Amino acid sequence: MSIFEQLKKYKYIIPIITNADRDVKRIILKSFRLKKKFFYPQGEYKADVKNLINCMLCLKMCRFDCNSLQGAKTERVAPAYKSLIGYYLSVGKIDPSKEENKDFINLMYECCNCENCKIWCPFDFSVVSLLETVRDDINDKGLTPNYIKEQIEKLNKTHTIEDTNIFKTYEEKVIANVESDGNDDVFYYIGCETMKYPEVVKGNIEILKKAGIKFSTNLDKRWCCGAPLFNTRHLDLAKEYAKQNIDLITGSGAKLVVTDCPGCADTLLNRYEKIGFKSKVKVIHILQLFKQLIEENKLILKNQIPEEFKNVVYHDPCLMSRNLNVISEPREVLKKIPGLNLLEPICNEKYTHCCGYSGTLHWANNDLAVKISQNRVNELIETGANIIVTACPLCELGLEKGIEENNKKKIKIIDLTELIAKVI
Amino acid sequence: MTLEKFDLIYKDNRCKIKDKEKILSKLKAILGEENVSTKEIDLIAYSKDSTLITLIWRIQGKLAALPDFITWPENNDQIVQTLKLANEEKIPVIPYGEGSGVVGGAIPVYGGIIIDMKKFNKVLEINDKDLTVTVQTGINGMNLERYLNAKGYTCGHIPQSIYMSSVGGWIAHRAAGQFSTKYGKIEDIVLGLEVILPQGEIIELKTIIRAATGPQFDKLFIGGEGTLGIVTKATLKIWPSPEKRELISFAFPTIEDSLEAIRNILRNQIYPAVIRIYDASETVRHFPQVKEAKDKVMAVFVCEGNERLVNLEGIITREKCEDNNGVNCGEEPVEHWFETRFRVTETSLIPPYKIVIDTIEVSVMWEHAAELYHLVLDSVKKVKGILYITAHASHFYPNGVGFYFSFAGVATGGKSNFEFYQECWDVIMDGCVKAGGSIAHHHGIGINRARWMEKEWGKALRSLIDIKNLLDPNNILNPGKTYFPPEKGGAK
Repeated sequence: MSIFEQLKKYKYIIPIITNADRDVKRIILKSFRLKKKFFYPQGEYKADVKNLINCMLCLKMCRFDCNSLQGAKTERVAPAYKSLIGYYLSVGKIDPSKEENKDFINLMYECCNCENCKIWCPFDFSVVSLLETVRDDINDKGLTPNYIKEQIEKLNKTHTIEDTNIFKTYEEKVIANVESDGNDDVFYYIGCETMKYPEVVKGNIEILKKAGIKFSTNLDKRWCCGAPLFNTRHLDLAKEYAKQNIDLITGSGAKLVVTDCPGCADTLLNRYEKIGFKSKVKVIHILQLFKQLIEENKLILKNQIPEEFKNVVYHDPCLMSRNLNVISEPREVLKKIPGLNLLEPICNEKYTHCCGYSGTLHWANNDLAVKISQNRVNELIETGANIIVTACPLCELGLEKGIEENNKKKIKIIDLTELIAKVI
Repeated sequence: MTLEKFDLIYKDNRCKIKDKEKILSKLKAILGEENVSTKEIDLIAYSKDSTLITLIWRIQGKLAALPDFITWPENNDQIVQTLKLANEEKIPVIPYGEGSGVVGGAIPVYGGIIIDMKKFNKVLEINDKDLTVTVQTGINGMNLERYLNAKGYTCGHIPQSIYMSSVGGWIAHRAAGQFSTKYGKIEDIVLGLEVILPQGEIIELKTIIRAATGPQFDKLFIGGEGTLGIVTKATLKIWPSPEKRELISFAFPTIEDSLEAIRNILRNQIYPAVIRIYDASETVRHFPQVKEAKDKVMAVFVCEGNERLVNLEGIITREKCEDNNGVNCGEEPVEHWFETRFRVTETSLIPPYKIVIDTIEVSVMWEHAAELYHLVLDSVKKVKGILYITAHASHFYPNGVGFYFSFAGVATGGKSNFEFYQECWDVIMDGCVKAGGSIAHHHGIGINRARWMEKEWGKALRSLIDIKNLLDPNNILNPGKTYFPPEKGGAK
């Protein structure tokens, strides 16, 4: 809500206070004057205390759609409770430095970043955006949880969140690496997690080649986009990643970056800008390009979809539908696949539910991440589909855990690229 | 211990648990390791509900009360065994849904075992021919309504708390939704129940459309506030999604004109799904953009259902409003209400200024409706420290109306916030009783109204307490509320 809107909304209060008796006015004015002294932390802090208070005292419209709460079924992970604990940690009511309070620190990381809460928030923020400011203070106090430190160590060592630089495994995965000659049209920006799905990468490369696009992948020089550094609030390190990635992209001469990972797209597009690095090159999800290629008849979906891949349900990745607003494109591509029957779950498009594997949750509480995934798998299965199709490697990874845990062997999950590959 | 840093508001008469470790291991044997907790992070999470005075306590780092154990049962047997254990050990049990209650119904005033019903969240069956849905009662209201909407139905029960309340909470506190004039209140919507009684017996009150089979036992649990049993399953009425919706609004010169218009609409057997009136103070707060409503009483109506019927309802509603000096304000105020009806920010913005706020709903027959409204307003205005007292009405019947008062103020003269809060409550309750109203329309009794139950019920309260004692001889189920205020009860 803008300041103007707020003034308009609360204008009615002015005569109420003006007409109050002297004692009441005195008490209210004192409360206004001393609000920060009473309720804000002393000294230096980064926590967004104002909005933590707004959230923790709110009537909590978001909670019904909070994937963590619906997965865990306990008040402990309710959005407003996380803010309440964030507030108590910030003002020192709960001492973050004490070993006995580790559970309270961990809670600040038990969020899957789906930002469903933002849709329903009367203040228009997401709870994770508040938790991140509490994480800043946790880092500054040297209290970063070990599971977060381990990820940072991996990034420092391999420039990915894997034990080795996963991009350099392309040879063993029989992925063709295309080095840039400095004069490309497109930079195919492969996600770390997509490297775990070689068929998707190979499929994308094949489609780009068939469409006659001059592109490069530069796998020997690739680093992670740095998304985990934003989630864990290591922003100085994130700046190094932003610089490395932007330099690599710029050096390729590409006018367009296409990525197979919504997390990478969101980081390159939105998160870099927040730390002062704006890419001059347009960034899109690769499906947006495929949709365009289909329209221009450069990508022709000519074959009937095999029977076992006929009934598909599309799972909107949170980042793709809410942050990137890429909702219609994957559906338009799916509808062009001959013989395919597209099914929709109850919660779809910008109201999609999370796979559980985004943010810091799967490090802080993997059991909960799996439960969230199970819930989503059940919603997708309810449509009657036997194939879940998505466009995010992290969602694929997350939903696979849910399928495994639910023991629903009847349903499979694949990337949209793999479906396209079956009909070209 | 982090908990030692938090002041407790309800700290007297707490249950004495001799061997906590023993109870914990028994609970774990019943519910499984993962479904029981005594961790501080969980105990704090279940120390509260949504009662507005607790918001000030929360920002001040005070806890309303503290439970001893949190449990998340997954099946009836686990609840049965937990209740049996609680009876053996004389430990209070507090059923917990979504924690949206605003009268303290889920606050564990004497400590004890919280039974969180969130894992009872399944939709078991939709019966299209009977127009019913059967659910486990821990399901969140909005998740149920969203599921029904996707299948082409509505439950028609849309309380302002729908995003943060459960079916079990609706039943326990005898809730009413915004569309209740057409679809009814929760007692009109529930057709069947499964209940676990305080000593662990499971009873099924089968799904019936109506019966003359002696006293209707189910009504004890619809409004039982978790003191007579834990409702685990319910069959509710549903409706096909409405064909047409018509939005109507009128501004009236006085509250009397608006009440008279609505009384005549209902007298003519016209039931708009939504009827709401806002007194002049609330009209300026909620509809500042409507010029025709300046200093007036705004009324909004939503008629919905079969298109031909809705058209007729619209005609008669407008006619009765015009007959009573109403000025037509069109659809915009109703659209504005639809957009803003759940977006409440005051509960976040006001407590940091130590301003005490709350809302109190009561009901009254038409004969004394205007009298009650004025009596309550005049009495509250005399309370030292009061900033404002306003009202709207959102539930109407051919025979009467439910008023919803909102107040704000600050504690003066050395009084604590809580004392000021209770004083405002008492003045409103007193005004309501004097005007012949009933002290609660749809939030329930909980802690806040318990001290007024004798005035409300008279001698009949004794019989109600006899029933409670018969079903719950050890007084383990949600004690310290509903029948007595917390200070008059305590562990047996």
